[in-house]
Amino acid sequence: MMTLLAPIKMGASRARGVGARTTGRSLRIASVGLLVAALSAVAAEGWTRLGPKPGGHSKVRIEGTSTIHDWQVESPLIGGSLELGPKFPKSPDEAKPGKLDVRAQVFIPVSSLKSVKDDGTPYSTAMDDIMHGKLLKTEHPRILYTLQELTLKEGGAKESGLYEAEAVGDLVVAGVTNRVTFPVKIQVHPDNHVTVSGEVALKMSDFKIEPPAPKIAFGLIKTGDEVKVKFQWEVFPR
Amino acid sequence: MSETKHGMEWNRREFLRGSSLAALATVLGGVRLVQPAARAAETPPPPTGERVKVGLIGLGQWGRELLDQLMRLPAAEVAAICDNYPPMVRRSRTKAPDALATENYREVLDNKDITAVVVATPTHQHKEIVLAALEAGKHVYCEVPLAHTVDEAREIARAALKHNRQVFQSGLQLRSDPQRHFLLPFIRSGALGRMAMARAQWHKKTSWRFTSPNPEREAEINWRLSPEISPGLMGEVGIHQLDQVSWFLNHWPTAVHGFGTVAFWRDGRKVPDTVQAVVEYPEGLRLLYSATLANSYEADAEIYYGSDAAVLIRGSSAWMFKEADAPLLGWEVYARKDAFYQATGISLRADASKLKTRGAEAEAQTEAADPPVYFALEAFLRNSREVTNAVRDFTSLYGDTDPQALADYLAQEVRRLPAADALDGYRATVLALKANEAVVRGQPVALAPEMFELS
Repeated sequence: MMTLLAPIKMGASRARGVGARTTGRSLRIASVGLLVAALSAVAAEGWTRLGPKPGGHSKVRIEGTSTIHDWQVESPLIGGSLELGPKFPKSPDEAKPGKLDVRAQVFIPVSSLKSVKDDGTPYSTAMDDIMHGKLLKTEHPRILYTLQELTLKEGGAKESGLYEAEAVGDLVVAGVTNRVTFPVKIQVHPDNHVTVSGEVALKMSDFKIEPPAPKIAFGLIKTGDEVKVKFQWEVFPR
Repeated sequence: MSETKHGMEWNRREFLRGSSLAALATVLGGVRLVQPAARAAETPPPPTGERVKVGLIGLGQWGRELLDQLMRLPAAEVAAICDNYPPMVRRSRTKAPDALATENYREVLDNKDITAVVVATPTHQHKEIVLAALEAGKHVYCEVPLAHTVDEAREIARAALKHNRQVFQSGLQLRSDPQRHFLLPFIRSGALGRMAMARAQWHKKTSWRFTSPNPEREAEINWRLSPEISPGLMGEVGIHQLDQVSWFLNHWPTAVHGFGTVAFWRDGRKVPDTVQAVVEYPEGLRLLYSATLANSYEADAEIYYGSDAAVLIRGSSAWMFKEADAPLLGWEVYARKDAFYQATGISLRADASKLKTRGAEAEAQTEAADPPVYFALEAFLRNSREVTNAVRDFTSLYGDTDPQALADYLAQEVRRLPAADALDGYRATVLALKANEAVVRGQPVALAPEMFELS
C-alpha cells in the first residue's frame, strides 16, 4: 500500500506564481486559453479526444485522518478531456519508455464531493459543509488539474493494454496551484475507451488549507494535514 | 439517514451526566424526551453565494410565521414577498425591507434570480400557483393540505414528480423535526410493547373567523368557514397529526369514521368547530382524534399506548409512562422525570451523542427552541441548494442529453435533509380530506390502499 504512494515533488513551477491564490479572472483567462488549446487539438491531425459519459465508472476518493476517526470524501464526477496524440503507441509492443503523446485537462466540481463512511455510504451533511467551506467552494467551484508531462516507465507497457507512467501536472485546489507528480495507470480497453487510475498523497497546508478543527468538544478534534487522493477516471472517445 | 441514526445512539453514562441533581430530585415525575436546540446554532452560516433566494407567496397568519422563520435562517435570502391583498404586503414589508414586494405572484415566478418559492396561500389557491411555479423551474415548498380536493392534490403531486430537477416539499413540518426523528425508531422498535391504540388532539379556543370592513374581503379571508372549499379542522389542522401517527405506525389507514358539530361558535357557520374521528389501521389499531375551537385544555398532543408503556408527545418534548410489569430498559433509571398527576413521565431525549461531545451542559434541561417548521424550511433551503448544485455539476460534465442519468444521479448523490416529499404530501392530503369527508357526511369512509398511490 505504502509503496504506491508517490512522493510529491513540488516547487518546480513556483516561478510561475504557483503557490499563490489565482484570482477568478486569471482562472477564467486560463480556462479560455485551455479551451482554445483543446479545440485546436481536436482539429490537429491524428489526435483522439476522450471524455467522460454518464454511467462511466469514475470516482475520486480523498482519505484523511483526525484525532477521533479517519474520514473520507468521494465524488463520481470527474470532468475534462484526455487526448491521445498520433505518436501514442497503437499497441503495447511499439511502446517505448519515455514521454507519452498525451494531453489532459481534468476538473472536479467541489460541490459534488460528499463525506462518506468507510463503506461509501453517506456520512454527514455538516461535514460536507465544513469541507466545502475549506475548499472555498463559492470562489473556486472546481478542483483543476492540467497534465504537463506523462512518462512511460521502463517496462510500463503491458500486453493487456495497460500503461504505467508517471504524471507531472499542475493541481489547483481552493485557488492554489501546486505541481504534483504521481504514478498513473492507463488502461486502453479493446473498444478504445480508457481508464486512468492512480493515487497521490497531498498536504492540505500546501494548498493553504488549514486542517479543520471543529469548535465542539473543546477543540480536541484535529484533522491531520496529510490526505490521500485516489481516483479512477473512465473516458470514452468523443 | 446516517445523522438520524447517529442521534439514536443511547448512552447511559451521558444520561447520567445530563441529569442534574434537581432532575433526579423530581424522580416522582414523568420522564421527558427532548431534543436540545444545539443543532441550528452549530451549523455555520453558508457563504453569501450559497444562500437561497426565496420568494414567499401568501402573507396571512401562517405566511407571516413562515416569514419570521425564513428571516432567522442563515441559508435564506428572502428575495420576494407576495400577497394579492395590498395591506398584507405592506404589513410584512417592514420585516423584509429588501425583498421585492408584490401583489402578483407571476412577478415572483418571472424573477430568474429567485430559485425557490414557499406557497402559503389559502389551500384552494395552491394548485394554480404551484403548477406555475414548477413550470417556471422553481423549487416549491407547498403548505398542506396540498389542495382542497384529492384531484387537485394529485395534479400537484404528479407535476412535482415530473419536475424531478426541482425540490418539492410538502409542508408536513413534523417530518423534518429532529425530535420526531428521534422518537420514530423508538416507537417503531417495539419499546412500548404491543401497540394497542393511539390518541391525538388539537384543542384551541379561537374563532377561525377574521373580520374586515370590506365584505368581499371578509368572505375571502374566511375561506376556512366556507363549506365548499374548506378542508375543515381535519384538513387544516388534523393533517399533521394524522400523518405523524400513520408515519410512526408505518401504515396507512383502512377507514375513517368522523363526527362534527358546531358546539360553540354559533355565528351561522356550517363548518364544524368541534370534530372527532376514529381512524382504523391494520391489525385492529385505531387512532382516536379530536379537535376543537371551543376549548384549549391540554392543547395539542399525541399519545401512543403500548402494553409496556405509553409515550406522550407534546411540542418538542416527549415522555414515557411505564407499566409496572414492563421490562427495565436501563437508561430510564437516570433520566429526568416529571410528575403528571398520579403518573411518572420519563423524559425521552434525543441527542445523547451531542451531549457527549459538548459536555454535560445546562442545556440538557432545556427544550428545543426551534419549532418544527424551522427545521422544515432549513431542509427545504438546503435540499434546494444541493439539487441546484448537483444539476449544475452533472451537466457541466455531460451536458444535458441524458435525463434519466441525471435523475439517477440526483437520486443517488444528493444528500437531502429529511423532509416530506410530494408523495408524502399527497397521501396525507388524501387522508385528511377523507377524514373531513367522514366528519361532514357523518359516515365512515373506506380507504383502499390504491387511494394512497399516485398512479
